[in-house]
Amino acid sequence: MSRLLSTFSARHLVFLVVLLAATVPLLLNIRLTHTASDETKRFYANIDSLPSGSVVLMSFDFEASAFAEIKPLAEAVLRHCFRQNLRVIGLSLFAEGTALGEQTLSRIAGEKGKVYGTDYVYLGFRPQYTSAILAIGESLPKEFPTDYFGAATAAMPALSGITNYDQIATVISITDGGMPTYWVDYAVTRYHARLQTVLTATMATSFYPYVSSGQIRGLIAGLKGAAEYELLLNESGGGGRGLLAQSVSQIAILAIIIVGNVVGYLSGRRKWQ
Amino acid sequence: MTNRLAWIATLVTGLFMVAQYFIKTDATNAVYTTLLDYYQIVFAVSMIVGGIGLLKQHSLKVQRSSQRRGYSLITIAAILFMVIAAVIFGTGATSPYQWAFNNLQAPMQATTFSLLAFFVASAAYRGFRIKSAPAFVLALAAVIVLVGKSGFGEMVSQQLPAIAGWVLNNPSTAAKRGILIGVGIGSVATALRVILGIERSYR
Repeated sequence: MSRLLSTFSARHLVFLVVLLAATVPLLLNIRLTHTASDETKRFYANIDSLPSGSVVLMSFDFEASAFAEIKPLAEAVLRHCFRQNLRVIGLSLFAEGTALGEQTLSRIAGEKGKVYGTDYVYLGFRPQYTSAILAIGESLPKEFPTDYFGAATAAMPALSGITNYDQIATVISITDGGMPTYWVDYAVTRYHARLQTVLTATMATSFYPYVSSGQIRGLIAGLKGAAEYELLLNESGGGGRGLLAQSVSQIAILAIIIVGNVVGYLSGRRKWQ
Repeated sequence: MTNRLAWIATLVTGLFMVAQYFIKTDATNAVYTTLLDYYQIVFAVSMIVGGIGLLKQHSLKVQRSSQRRGYSLITIAAILFMVIAAVIFGTGATSPYQWAFNNLQAPMQATTFSLLAFFVASAAYRGFRIKSAPAFVLALAAVIVLVGKSGFGEMVSQQLPAIAGWVLNNPSTAAKRGILIGVGIGSVATALRVILGIERSYR
């Protein structure tokens, strides 16, 4: 024990603080009171204003590593889409997102009593995202003659009347990386697709320029975005549960930065001067 | 000769892709959609080539009996298992492939990603030192955004989330936009270099 304590450094203390900050709040059943931000309200209003039967193309462009953060966001948006009786077309431009996207879409659709092929469809994975995005702009039925399960898409009511982005009310890229850039470059610029994006918190800053230019019409990010969306939906979900843990972790990191500065100043006062 | 053919193919394809953006006829659309199909096919085949390359690389490491041959053996076993399981049993919800993805790959990736929180905190402790005026501005912006965008932001002050939003939407967006414009110009320059044969990575 004493040997263990002797090797215990400031770095280990930092690790311990982060571990406690991330895990202890998950054990407590405390919900933070908060209001929805303007950007979340805008995203919500964009979905809420779509007439029943409108088509939403939802692209699950993320890797398994970010699923814990992305899942509450994706679920909240899907719940909203199905509550509005929108037709949801799922696909993935990331190989890893394919199975996770299918599982999420099927679960929420089942929860809302939606019928596969009529209310929603999952088209699966397409390699090389730039050409896939461009190909959907030319002809979605040609790009996806069969769905994820190998069934012909031509006779599916969920896809009836859809040729390209012109018939799609909104495209939603759910991602942990830079995929919205490609959607903007190839779907918005060339085919005038109406794009919204659901992101991990760390990626949000990268896409504010596109939001302010109007190329991305709505953006929600991170567990806070999920919690705000659940608040607007008046439904509970993973966002509300995770918000406290994420917020406490953020404050812990802030405290660590302050302590680091104080320690640095005290230990190297001469050097700093 | 091969290099020249590759350059001619690059030049013709590049110029066509630029031209078809502005000239939309049935003929150009037909060529364009065919090129998109081929692009996906080439990419899918390159994934197979990459997989085979990875297998060869790790097979060599096993043969050379390096200290890390165990890692290579696990890599080879994992690749072969996923490919064989997908070919024999498919990729359906109850298939072994899906089981391995849900119960092995996804948790392992999530675990690795989770470690970032610890390293970020450690780096912040050691590296985020306020030694100058710009460092102070950086730290101040970080505090405003970190607290303002957290669940506690509204508890600290009703205005704090709005101030954090202003930081993100104005100074941060302005800087990001400058970077994006630079990247855009750089991409055009690189594309022109490739199309005109100045940049020949295939040589």
